[in-house]
Amino acid sequence: MMLTEEIELPDGLPVAHIRSLSSIAISDLHLGYEGMMARNGVLSPKINLLKIKKTISKALDTTGADRVIVDGDIKNEFSNVDVEEFNELYDFITYVKGTGADLVLIKGNHDNFVERYGKSFDLKIYRQEAAIGDYLFFHGEEMPSNSSNAKTLVMGHEHPAIGVYNKSGRKEKLKCFLYGKYMRYNLLVLPAMNYFSTGTEVNMEPKGDLLAPIFKKLDVDSMRAIAIGYGSTEDFGKVGKLRNLA
Amino acid sequence: MISYAGKPFSDAESIAVLNPYVKDWFMKNFGELTPPQKYAFKLISERKNLLITAPTGSGKTISGFLSIISKLFDYSLEGKLEDKVYCIYVSPLRALNNDVYRNLTLPLEQIYSEIVKDKGEDILKGNMRKVTIGVRTGDTTQQERRKMLLKPPNILVTTPESLAIILNSRKFMEHLSGLEYVIIDELHELANNKRGVHLSLSLERLKEEVGGRISLIGLGATLYPLDEAAKFLVGSAASSTEDCVIVDASWSKKLDVVTRSPVRDLIYTDGQKIEDEMYKMVNQIIKENKSTLIFTNTRSGTERVVFNLKRRFGYGEDIAAHHSSLSRESRMEVEDLLKKGALKCAVSSTSLELGVDIGAIEDVVQLGSPKSVTRAIQRIGRAGHSYKATAKGEMIALDRDDLVECTIMLDAALKKHLDSFRVPEAPLDVLAQHIIGMSIARKWGVDEAFSLVRKAYSYRALQRKDFDALLNYLAGNYVGLESRRVYGKIWYDEKEKMFGRRGKMAQVIYMLNLGTIPDEVAINVFDLNKKWIGNIEEEFLTKLKPGDIFTLGGRLYRFEYAKGMKCFVSEAKTSAPTIPPWFSEQLPLSFELAEEIGKFRGSFASVLSASIKKRRISRVSKSTKMPAEVKKVLSQLPMDENAMDAVFRYFLEQILFAKEVPNNKLMLVEQTHDIEGDKNYLVFHALFGRRVNDTLSRLFGIVLGEMLDMDVGILVGDNGFMLELERESKLSQKAVEELFSNVFSSDIISTIRLNIRKTEMMKRRFRQVAGRSFMILKNYKGWKISVGRQQVNSQLLLNAVEEIDPDFPVLKETYREVMEDVMDVPRAKEVIERLSKGTIKYKFITTQTPSPFAHKTLTFGHADVIMMKNKHDYLKELNRLVLKRING
Repeated sequence: MMLTEEIELPDGLPVAHIRSLSSIAISDLHLGYEGMMARNGVLSPKINLLKIKKTISKALDTTGADRVIVDGDIKNEFSNVDVEEFNELYDFITYVKGTGADLVLIKGNHDNFVERYGKSFDLKIYRQEAAIGDYLFFHGEEMPSNSSNAKTLVMGHEHPAIGVYNKSGRKEKLKCFLYGKYMRYNLLVLPAMNYFSTGTEVNMEPKGDLLAPIFKKLDVDSMRAIAIGYGSTEDFGKVGKLRNLA
Repeated sequence: MISYAGKPFSDAESIAVLNPYVKDWFMKNFGELTPPQKYAFKLISERKNLLITAPTGSGKTISGFLSIISKLFDYSLEGKLEDKVYCIYVSPLRALNNDVYRNLTLPLEQIYSEIVKDKGEDILKGNMRKVTIGVRTGDTTQQERRKMLLKPPNILVTTPESLAIILNSRKFMEHLSGLEYVIIDELHELANNKRGVHLSLSLERLKEEVGGRISLIGLGATLYPLDEAAKFLVGSAASSTEDCVIVDASWSKKLDVVTRSPVRDLIYTDGQKIEDEMYKMVNQIIKENKSTLIFTNTRSGTERVVFNLKRRFGYGEDIAAHHSSLSRESRMEVEDLLKKGALKCAVSSTSLELGVDIGAIEDVVQLGSPKSVTRAIQRIGRAGHSYKATAKGEMIALDRDDLVECTIMLDAALKKHLDSFRVPEAPLDVLAQHIIGMSIARKWGVDEAFSLVRKAYSYRALQRKDFDALLNYLAGNYVGLESRRVYGKIWYDEKEKMFGRRGKMAQVIYMLNLGTIPDEVAINVFDLNKKWIGNIEEEFLTKLKPGDIFTLGGRLYRFEYAKGMKCFVSEAKTSAPTIPPWFSEQLPLSFELAEEIGKFRGSFASVLSASIKKRRISRVSKSTKMPAEVKKVLSQLPMDENAMDAVFRYFLEQILFAKEVPNNKLMLVEQTHDIEGDKNYLVFHALFGRRVNDTLSRLFGIVLGEMLDMDVGILVGDNGFMLELERESKLSQKAVEELFSNVFSSDIISTIRLNIRKTEMMKRRFRQVAGRSFMILKNYKGWKISVGRQQVNSQLLLNAVEEIDPDFPVLKETYREVMEDVMDVPRAKEVIERLSKGTIKYKFITTQTPSPFAHKTLTFGHADVIMMKNKHDYLKELNRLVLKRING
């Protein structure tokens, strides 16, 4: 669906297509997540990267974009990189480059290491935030700088989702985008692309429990939730209206 | 070959096989042989494999042990007794282990000192030694274990889990080289579950490891079919050495049982009055007997009964509760007091049903139906401690279905018709554990390992492809090479068809995570301000949907939502809960008992119908007398006058109102509605037991939902199930026929599988299976992972596993467990087949108000007899409507 004239949200994908930049924006990949699970004694099949590659390929195909912007947390662990994670990272970067698209990384709170590899992979890496065209990309664990000329802010970090009840009373959790206003900017919050992250239900969680500091300055209830699931993308309206549904 | 023991041996023959000192000890202490002993002494001395079933108090333990002890003293006197384990005794209960240890320590001492006295101290200079006994369970300290490693006991008393650990302790296994006997106690508590299957694999590994022949002795209370139990005990290996003789002494105790109703009219008597009369009845029984044991089915019921008896009749410390939520210490205290005869009465949910010796109980009272004949017999068998005593028991029922159920249950018990158990069929999670255990012990050829596993009865039909899939999973072949050092639990060479140990961690991880019993989980309940209120059982949470109202700590709450292991609620303003607190505790009615009830319904209804016709009965009132020919039928059953009267009226009302009594050959499908009339109900009067009904209700619900393209509510009960539809969607005869024909032509397994996938139960069971299969490690690198964490992880894991392979062993086992062990898909399939062939008929009727036999299913699928105030009023109202229609 078209979120604005500029921003397209391809059906069923946790991806935003920004036309003027010919880019797709994604966030919170948390590569190496299964490794973390395994260290906690849960031995899951490696499915995250597999799904991410499929999603990116589909998004690039449908949108014709030629740049992939990762809005932070490409990798799961805070500091160390072990062999498996390095392999996944390498695999991911090689994959994206193989599609012919450019890759831009914005550093998230989990990404302390990536600069070290920036050179060897020939990557564009932004430490904090990146102003590209009319857009300011930042991960979200800190406030964006206020000096920007950007019109739209794009962030990740929060892993937004909504909880809704279906007819038989069963609760379903759907990943979603959030879109609204912050000061003079438009604000787009990207859902987590990580397969295992089901997200935080922004319509159920008390507001004070949200992660990103920007939600201390802005009422999440005023934002629209655009949910993804079952192969489609659907505008559910204001978050405030989705509270106390059950 | 499995055979049944013929005539018992004479006492003289039996005693003759014993060592003279053991014989003297036995005769001095007991004087005569109990029924199982008349077979066991001789057969065990001949080293036969033996399955003995006998009631409590029949000297079962001694019957299993005495010939072995005798043999060990023979060895001792010959100077041949070594520091080796000759006999392993396994029971599922640690308390029972301690009991056995205590009860054998003294005789071993006494016999030893008799020998020394008789032969003189000089004998000690030879190699004459004490016969020793030792316990090894999860409670055994490291120090005791080390001691045992240096000097192993001749008789080792242990649990299935500790036995599995021993199998992987190389040093201890050296002490088992002379093992001759394995005794498995409480076989009825093992043969029907994964814990037992785990044990049976351990036994096969043990036999293989020890090499020499081991005699297997199984001890159990009532269970059926016995051949199946025997096969479970000795395994499925075809060789003639695996013969097993069955000694069935389960009926050596006489039963004196009756079903009672506290009042004549269970419908129109005030609920309070019924309760008063019930407690009076119970109190009378307690007074008339030296000691009484009361069973209540649920823990909450146990607490209520104890509270009421104390409050109403002034009992004090002479009454005590015993259930699984109480601490181990307080339970042991109650057991001790019972043994000493210091308690007038003990009240229990299920925890005193089996196991430890509780001394002489004179009368067993069962409040409400225990739902299975076997369970009824086990409970009543607690009365009358000696095998010569008669076991006296009474069942008190508070509604008419319960009266019928309890009566038929006792009748079946008297006729020795039992419900059957089923050994779980080749569970892959249990097998995964053993493959890891085997790999740690040594290198295996895949063929060799496969044939060993198939010797265990549960795995007799294990498919090779499932075994190979499991090896691949355990080798970590579902992830890339570089990750296998973390994921792989075994080393597996697919080409050479060999597997073995992988890495140093394997042993530690194995020891810390082994076992089949899932962790108990308490779900924390919070209000919307995140204030903690209390906790509920996980099982209970899986049944809740938003809007449901339940009680917690005496207050009513409305369920809002759940997040992981947290449950959020708001205060409810209504007066009644929609989900009763005992919901998840209620035992399911067994298939066999349901069928017996169905048979009775059929035969009694035809007698009664004839009588109604002959006597032209068309109305029913308080003064309606029971015809003689009807009374004749009922008085042959174990029920009191009140019960007979209530059952007579119950059937009379049903026949006059609906013309039909649903029975084992007739499934009645009744379209009706509620008193409020805002819903349309389709009540299926189905007597196949709850687990089959659970399956059938889903199947019919799904198919009907597809036909009408709408949501269909489902409610499952013991006497049937109910589909709930919108008021407008009335079904015609034709639509019902279509429903049945669609069900007949549907693919039952895949329909149910799809339905199961969406349930909370699936997620929970998957976590448990993944835990047993070591896909989720509860205990890893020194961390204990909380169940909550496990649950969150397991949901992610479930999706991921499904994504890579819908036939992944861990997933496959979860579906099997839900379909075969929780529900009963195999039998449900049978029922559907019989319906489609017409050997069970169905009939569709529409009623203006629900027919009497539908009331229980309608009021609640699951009901607790002890607390039924709100339900009682509702029932009364329903009955009033019925009578109005009959009497005009």
